[in-house]
Amino acid sequence: MRTVCYLAHCLLNANAKVDEGARCAGVSAPVVGLLREQGATIRQMPCPELAFGGTRRFWAVREQYDTPAFRGHCRALAEPVAEQIRADLAAGARVVIIGIDGSPSMGVELTAADESWGGRPDKPRDEDYPVTPGAGLFTETLLGLLGEAVASVRAVGVGQDLFDYDEERELARLGRVVAGEGGPDAR
Amino acid sequence: MRGDGRSRRVAVVPDAYLNPAPGAADRLAELAATGWGVVALPHPGLPPGVEAAMLAGIADQLAAFLDDGYEVALAAPDDPIARRLAELLAADGRGIAASVAP
Repeated sequence: MRTVCYLAHCLLNANAKVDEGARCAGVSAPVVGLLREQGATIRQMPCPELAFGGTRRFWAVREQYDTPAFRGHCRALAEPVAEQIRADLAAGARVVIIGIDGSPSMGVELTAADESWGGRPDKPRDEDYPVTPGAGLFTETLLGLLGEAVASVRAVGVGQDLFDYDEERELARLGRVVAGEGGPDAR
Repeated sequence: MRGDGRSRRVAVVPDAYLNPAPGAADRLAELAATGWGVVALPHPGLPPGVEAAMLAGIADQLAAFLDDGYEVALAAPDDPIARRLAELLAADGRGIAASVAP
């Protein structure tokens, strides 16, 4: 059975990240290598934050993006992705959505959230970045658009936006899901 | 703090770069090794409405890079989907380079 992986945009293009958010210069080669080893088809999802906030945007949490305008933007970007996923499922493929845990928009299991963020940027330390269980706004929108088909889709987050990012651990979690060996291991 | 690790180089690539045919050169690995990030074009054969929606989103994302001075280039400028994207950007007054130099 063919496996089609829908990757968060920045896994193929770290230029979409905020300043100081990139884990590599461009392509996350270890992630691509893992998917190639497993024979997966690779698709790239859009970055909802890039077109909305540009390359100079500040770090932000989910509450700062959670506006009707940003949700509409996410919906416009997610609709054609959902169409493709439905077509892949209809063709008998396994579909895996690969997001970015810790991201306010692309998180799957963990997202950045904090009611207190806003106004003058005053959170200079990496460890001040607040993460909580739950999906980011784009992921939430995409999964919602899939309707009943969501039950046929696996979703996993690579923790590149987590303070304690461990590439070896994250690749192991990802590999397990892409191989169809069950859910991701707990962090 | 990690500093700004972004390469500021973005290659727009056809689907065949992401999913090369068996035995074909791994162009994505070549771009990755030289620091390029990639924006993938929609794969061929999508319904026109789906492709158009994808291209509109891609054009908006590329505009953010172009307007901030990032190097943006078409890896396969003769690809028909790449041409449609270039037309979309041109309609908004934005040009895109037609080669990816190492």
